[in-house]
Amino acid sequence: MGRVVASGSALLLAFALVAPADVWAQTKEDTVVYAIQSDMQNWDPPNSVLRESIIMGYHVFDHLAARDVKTGKVGPSLAVSWRNVDETTWEVKLRQNVKFHDGSRFAAGDVKATFDRVLNPENKLTARGNHTKIKSVEVVDDSTVRFKTDGPYPLFVERMTALVIQSEKAIKEKGHEWMQENPVGTGPYKLVKWNKKQDHLMVRNDDYWGPKPAFKHVRVRIIPEQATQIAELMSGGVDVIKAVPPDQMDVINKSGGARTSTSPILRTSFLQLDQAGRTGKNPFQDKRVRQAANLAVDMDGIIKHVLNGLGDRTATTINPMAFGYDLSIKPYKQDAAAAKKLLADAGYPGGFEVGFLTTAPIVEPALPQTSEAISADLAKVGIRTKKRYVGEVGPYVNLVRDGKADPMFEWSWGYYSIFDADAILYDVMRCGEPYSYYCNQAMDDLVIQGRSTLDQKKRAEIYTRAQRLAYDDAAYLFKWGLRGVWGISNRIEYEAPRDEIDRMFLVTPRKK
Amino acid sequence: MRSYISHQIFQLAVVVFGISLLAFGILHVLGDPVLLLLPQNAGKEEFERYRRLLGLDQPIYVQYWKFVSRAVFGDFGKSWYADTPAFQLVIERMPPTIYLTLAGLLVALLISLPLGILAALKRHTWIDSVCTAVAVAGQAAPLFWLGIMLIIVFAVRLRMLPASGYGTWQHFLLPSLCLGAALAPITMRLVRSGVIEVMNMEFIKTARAKGVAEPMVVVKHAFRNACIPVITVLGLQFGQLLGGAIITETVFAWPGVATLTVESIRNQDFPVVQCAVILLALVIVVVNLVVDLLVAVIDPRIRTGA
Repeated sequence: MGRVVASGSALLLAFALVAPADVWAQTKEDTVVYAIQSDMQNWDPPNSVLRESIIMGYHVFDHLAARDVKTGKVGPSLAVSWRNVDETTWEVKLRQNVKFHDGSRFAAGDVKATFDRVLNPENKLTARGNHTKIKSVEVVDDSTVRFKTDGPYPLFVERMTALVIQSEKAIKEKGHEWMQENPVGTGPYKLVKWNKKQDHLMVRNDDYWGPKPAFKHVRVRIIPEQATQIAELMSGGVDVIKAVPPDQMDVINKSGGARTSTSPILRTSFLQLDQAGRTGKNPFQDKRVRQAANLAVDMDGIIKHVLNGLGDRTATTINPMAFGYDLSIKPYKQDAAAAKKLLADAGYPGGFEVGFLTTAPIVEPALPQTSEAISADLAKVGIRTKKRYVGEVGPYVNLVRDGKADPMFEWSWGYYSIFDADAILYDVMRCGEPYSYYCNQAMDDLVIQGRSTLDQKKRAEIYTRAQRLAYDDAAYLFKWGLRGVWGISNRIEYEAPRDEIDRMFLVTPRKK
Repeated sequence: MRSYISHQIFQLAVVVFGISLLAFGILHVLGDPVLLLLPQNAGKEEFERYRRLLGLDQPIYVQYWKFVSRAVFGDFGKSWYADTPAFQLVIERMPPTIYLTLAGLLVALLISLPLGILAALKRHTWIDSVCTAVAVAGQAAPLFWLGIMLIIVFAVRLRMLPASGYGTWQHFLLPSLCLGAALAPITMRLVRSGVIEVMNMEFIKTARAKGVAEPMVVVKHAFRNACIPVITVLGLQFGQLLGGAIITETVFAWPGVATLTVESIRNQDFPVVQCAVILLALVIVVVNLVVDLLVAVIDPRIRTGA
């Protein structure tokens, strides 16, 4: 009997004590470790809608153009320059002496093959929707391609950052199935090994045409649980994590092993008010009521006290980072007396009760708390909200799409990562769009004008008018642009990316 | 014995049928997967086209019949998310889960057997009280909390073990300890009461009267007889253990079938969820069958129905 206990506990003790140092072999000096919450389905970025695929794609592939993380401007990558030959033709000059990871040379044929593959409806690639404005791609010579577009296409340059260039040889010789797990790119890292749902190991591409990454290896680990990610960050198992909840920032910053970094991201949140009457007759169809709602709420106070400062107030739905944003339009300031007067003028001297559809804080941090604060401010002027809660994103979006939301509901928009006012106005503020509860012919006209010219100065003017209109008409109840929080280990230098695309090739060791 | 076995196998078939109905049915009331598969700005025609493509426009019983007749051959269709056969996805992820469950079982036994016997032999002493207290605490602690605590102590503070991941034997320690700790209390209490009961039996007195040494009495006579309920309960608890593995795998980023299932539920990836639920249920059912047969072999009273 004693022997059983003794050998049992000895075994346990042995387990506990013998854990050797090679546990940490994974965090070697030359490896940077990045954590994501869920794995991607394949290594073929155009065949995926996940942000993880976009992020990983940046490491192994290159795009025609790339965004400078510091300035936010789109600049050259595999394309060195571009120009309009006419309203519907873009000519792109390509970088020379670039090699794919399989050793073959990058040329115009690869660009054509990539776009042809994505644009062919039979291939059913999810990226197709983003590029349907392109009618055809022609190879002019080895380093020049021409894109024919269906009408003027001002977003062309932005969209060049959204498609990875794959190898013609892989597309034609190896085929779709093979490409799902075998990426052949020109990017700063090469994929070495993919243990599904576990990790990806990448090694530096020493033939890379651009700046060489500081770390020889990148290991991307899949860690579904947020608490575990934070524990790994603090214990040195991981170097970069994202989507840190605001209430955990202090824990990380006081750990000594890691710190947090925040950045505004390309997502605006607001409350849609059913001006279009899709949910039936409701008070928000009156402009004065919508203005009253905007005047009733102390958004700045909510950002500061409820959101821990993790938001940037916006005057309309346009994100400060999007092209067309007009800084001169100032947000509504809280003025309860004015709000009450507007309500009385609109025929609601005693206020009214109205349905408010809310959801879980999956996309927006602290959503229940901020919604509560907004409701409280609205109640003070007489707008009493009756909350309905749908926690799952799918069904929630479904309700909104089918016109079954309430006269007031939570909404946020990520612009499909396109830094342009058009990416929100077209989908969320136009008559008859599934996700828009606003309908104003004047706005529709501006949106169409904005996408019908290539003159960026003219476009900026058009979007200023659109924002002025949205503000004056109090189209929605405007809130803020979101901020993301990253956790970063103290052994590296890295800054939170504003486009939510982490780039491990920019990570450098921290100077001691 | 033969009728006993055929009876058990009949029961197994009924259970499997029930599970297939459940696996098929539950997901169909959860929501519309097409909504998640298509981008936000897809049009109505595109939704309809996808629904037809996935066979979601057919009557439910037709969908079920198609589902079962293919599932029998391991064909659960392709994952709607990963573009790979669901069966292959689930099978690939099965080994880590099985290893983790077995390791958890081992840890549970390593904890519960010695403590249970000890508590029984030292009944009503402080040793017994401590063992019972540990058992109650272990049973009360939620797995999720326990996992995080283990990570904080062993990975963040002491830096002895990796906080999560899979690959080396060190990676096994925290998850299997977490999982085993959840199963240990009930097993320990069972061992304790089993040994106490057996120790009062006539044959123990006989053995002692014959002059058999006390350790021999405990290990050879008492423990062997106390084992029967323990084996039965371990079989029953195997399902519990797999359930616990879902939480444990999530906390420790373990690349097993449980995390796959949770993720697939989140993605409403019907084929993978259905395949995983049915295969996991099969494992549990088979383990229980084996346990029943094992107990019948050990204890003749059961197979003869006495």
